[in-house]
Amino acid sequence: MTSQIHDQVVIVGGGPAGTAAAAELARHGLKSVIIDEAPKLGGVIYRGPLRQTDSLPHLDDNLKRAMTALQTRYQAHSDSIEVKTQTRVLGPEGSNQLLLSDNSGLSRQPYAHLILATGCHERSVPFPGWQLPGVMLLGGVQLQLKSGLVRPGQRMALVGTGPLLPLVACQLHKAGVDVVGVFEASPFAKLAKEAVALLNKPKLTLSGMSMMSYLKKHKIPFKYGWGIVSAQGDEQLKSIQVAPYDSQWRPQRDLAVKVEVDAIGVGYGFVARTQLAMLLGLEHNYTKVSGYVPALDEWHQSQNHAAFVVGDSNGLLGADAAICEGQLAALRLAWQCGKITESQLFSRATKVKNKLARIKKFRFGFDRFSDRQPGLLTLAAPETVVCRCEQVRREQLDEAIAQGVKDITSLKMRTRIGMGDCQGKTCSSYALDYLHEAGLTENIGVIKPRFPLDPIPFTLME
Amino acid sequence: MKKYDVVIAGGGAVGAACAYFLSRDTDLKIALIDLKKPGNASRASAGGLWAIGESVGLGCGVIFFKTLSKLHSEAQGKEVPVMRPHQLPDCFFEFALTSNNMYPALHQEMLEKHGVDFKFERTGLKFIMYNEEDRLYAEQITEGIPHLADQVRWLDAEELKKEEPYVTDDAIGAIDFICDHQVNPYRLVDAYLEGARQNGVSLYLNTEVTSVIRNGNVVEGVKTHDQVFFCDTLINASGAWANELYQQATGRTMPVYPVKGQIVLSERMPKIMNGCISTSDCYIAQKDNGEILIGSSTEEKGFDTTNSLDKIQELSQGAMKCLPILKESSIKRCWAGLRPGTPDELPILGPVEGIEGYLNACGHFRTGILTSAITGQLMTELITGKTPSLDLTPFSVARFDEAEQKAG
Ligand SMILES: Cc1cc2nc3c(=O)[nH]c(=O)nc-3n(C[C@H](O)[C@H](O)[C@H](O)COP(=O)(O)OP(=O)(O)OC[C@H]3O[C@@H](n4cnc5c(N)ncnc54)[C@H](O)[C@@H]3O)c2cc1C
Ligand SMILES: Cc1cc2nc3c(=O)[nH]c(=O)nc-3n(C[C@H](O)[C@H](O)[C@H](O)COP(=O)(O)OP(=O)(O)OC[C@H]3O[C@@H](n4cnc5c(N)ncnc54)[C@H](O)[C@@H]3O)c2cc1C
Repeated sequence: MTSQIHDQVVIVGGGPAGTAAAAELARHGLKSVIIDEAPKLGGVIYRGPLRQTDSLPHLDDNLKRAMTALQTRYQAHSDSIEVKTQTRVLGPEGSNQLLLSDNSGLSRQPYAHLILATGCHERSVPFPGWQLPGVMLLGGVQLQLKSGLVRPGQRMALVGTGPLLPLVACQLHKAGVDVVGVFEASPFAKLAKEAVALLNKPKLTLSGMSMMSYLKKHKIPFKYGWGIVSAQGDEQLKSIQVAPYDSQWRPQRDLAVKVEVDAIGVGYGFVARTQLAMLLGLEHNYTKVSGYVPALDEWHQSQNHAAFVVGDSNGLLGADAAICEGQLAALRLAWQCGKITESQLFSRATKVKNKLARIKKFRFGFDRFSDRQPGLLTLAAPETVVCRCEQVRREQLDEAIAQGVKDITSLKMRTRIGMGDCQGKTCSSYALDYLHEAGLTENIGVIKPRFPLDPIPFTLME
Repeated sequence: MKKYDVVIAGGGAVGAACAYFLSRDTDLKIALIDLKKPGNASRASAGGLWAIGESVGLGCGVIFFKTLSKLHSEAQGKEVPVMRPHQLPDCFFEFALTSNNMYPALHQEMLEKHGVDFKFERTGLKFIMYNEEDRLYAEQITEGIPHLADQVRWLDAEELKKEEPYVTDDAIGAIDFICDHQVNPYRLVDAYLEGARQNGVSLYLNTEVTSVIRNGNVVEGVKTHDQVFFCDTLINASGAWANELYQQATGRTMPVYPVKGQIVLSERMPKIMNGCISTSDCYIAQKDNGEILIGSSTEEKGFDTTNSLDKIQELSQGAMKCLPILKESSIKRCWAGLRPGTPDELPILGPVEGIEGYLNACGHFRTGILTSAITGQLMTELITGKTPSLDLTPFSVARFDEAEQKAG
């Protein structure tokens, strides 16, 4: 074991980005360990792409092909890849180890090289009633669908923005759910404006169009420029109020209508999962689309740390981009470890980089379409809880800002927002947006996560 | 270009206290500039106001002195290490106790005048004894502070059980330092800053002082990455980083260095502690929101702020031994902070010979939360030309110059 440590590559996250990196490394003679908290590799896109299943009805053909190819590459090299599933990385332990937790307790994972591929999580948007049972994020809805055991609801609506809305709507309908409405916050005119960018990936755009015609055929109302106002119910969600949004996504409350539902999916975007990268001390920059993302060079290596960061954890670009990024990082690392020559590095990387550039063009079209507007922040009423763990209400943020708080750390110290068990995963993007909206954009800082990323029972310390 | 009467570099407890007291007691134009560097101490701190406890080597110092005692005993060839109380000099007792006495009124004042609450709690600090050795140690401690006898209570096992029902049955008793209390440390910093802001101090947060402007032996101001601040007096309250600014201000060096301390925090629990506790393994305090805070290691590892499993285990084991109920809870967070350490464990305060327009307010080591208030007051006295209410000679940086000269 010790002899291996000096070139031990550890990959955190076994989604498309992490597995693509592992396969590419193996191809150049580098062994790696993939650590993932999920029971199976595959990441969020679907649980278990490395099993011999090809049922990916929700993916377009291109992506399906990419995933199948990835699966084949991965299988061919699986001897060189050690997999630790149901294992959570709790954070760095000292300067060259990670602390892991699994069923049998705590352990340490030494590393010489680190690739972070931890994915993203969905952005939470607080509005009155957002904590009612039955109000779910789109990912949660999909997860229940994929589990095949429970239907997320009988009568559902979807609110949010972006390509996931029609996709999940189709999936719900196929699963027998009565989808009573899909409410896309951005106006249709804006989508049309991005047509050129979207045509950079014609197949994806077409599959988007076929989803739209599926919805039309099944008479599922899809409204552009509409969104959530509030949710009602006592123990369980009973209805929601939706209203037309203006260009700033401010609901026109006088035009609000009530929709009776027993569940809704909410999807206003994603935030990169950067807690581990932050704990490791990587520098981050703020981006509007994905929140704080690590500052990386063109090979996805951190600018102040040896670690690589790939996939959604450095900004959401989708699975095929995640694969490209995983490959790029692996190639660079193989070169740094002397496994390939510079010319091999460049000749192989060029193709991948070109593909990535194409995806980005397309993706950025969607990002512009789904560009989050400040009206979203006005949904929460003064008494609406915006930080679940610490039960912080919006009015407490207002009060603190009125008192002159200008940065996220002071806001946190004053109100306890972001200090709860979730480490700010749920609320910190709201807090950031809120400060930005108050005109505070300079030097506002970040909510820094703390070690460990998950609570550790004291008994494990005996 | 900006011009202030006073610029304070560093906005931890010490810098923030200086800003508060100066703005409360004078009409000076004041700016405070702070960038939270990884490991900044005040937010990492436990928030104990353990004036006696810390002065006799309990609380934050206990692990340190346990290690020292062990080394000492080993050097003398003793098999069973004997814990020896480690008492700081009288000037420190006075410094710490004077500061400690300021908090009840300060708490009231900040609540009433500024609407901020730093959660001052009268808790006492109990040293829990598990065996005869601990009792011997406790006796030595109390013998060392006869003048504070009225602040010490002895509790037998039964009395202890009554006051702290969750402490292990293995405890044979405790001594309680009545005047030792606690605050919420980040709320304290926040309260000082908010009070200062309301009093008109300009706060430049998330802003680094990149250099000190010096003209001959006069400090004229500081620069940040995009601004210049001129001032009559620069207060260096930059914690474990203080030597950097000192060098630029004076061209000399002083021995302030980072001493890392790791802390373990539990999930919220119902109230299981009535007061703060120190054992010979760790200290334990339940904070205002129910979380149990366990500290702290003492490590000299430069500016490293990583957590390590061995220390977390040590602290957790020490705490579980004292409060077995912790076994039903989980560790929610751990962190490490950098105490601004000095070789003699005393702070470095006041002017520097031969340098004008510059004051030290640094080196507060294990007790900068406790002693922030008196530091703020002393700096105000210095700047307004009053005679300081405590003799600052033992805290002057000159003590190290002399030591250097002697050694040289
Ligand atoms: C709800 C949802 C639906 C999506 N639908 C589509 C779609 O239809 N088409 C499309 O192209 N893209 C879709 N995407 C995007 C696509 O899934 C991602 O872009 C892609 O999976 C990114 O891959 P990744 O490897 O970067 O991250 P992920 O696939 O998210 O993998 C990250 C992995 O890291 C693991 N991990 C993170 N932190 C830790 C830790 N501390 N310890 C251990 N393990 C950890 C996670 O368990 C996870 O398995 C969707 C994303 C989401 C969230
Ligand atoms: C684990 C731990 C537990 C502790 N427990 C206690 C306790 O219970 N009771 C107690 O009284 N004390 C305790 N202490 C000690 C106490 O925390 C410190 O003595 C005190 O916080 C020091 O305050 P400070 O303002 O000098 O330093 P800091 O809080 O570190 O503040 C200095 C500030 O200056 C900033 N800075 C540095 N350089 C620059 C620059 N160039 N430009 C701008 N800003 C700069 C730093 O980033 C920092 O924000 C503890 C310390 C630790 C680490």
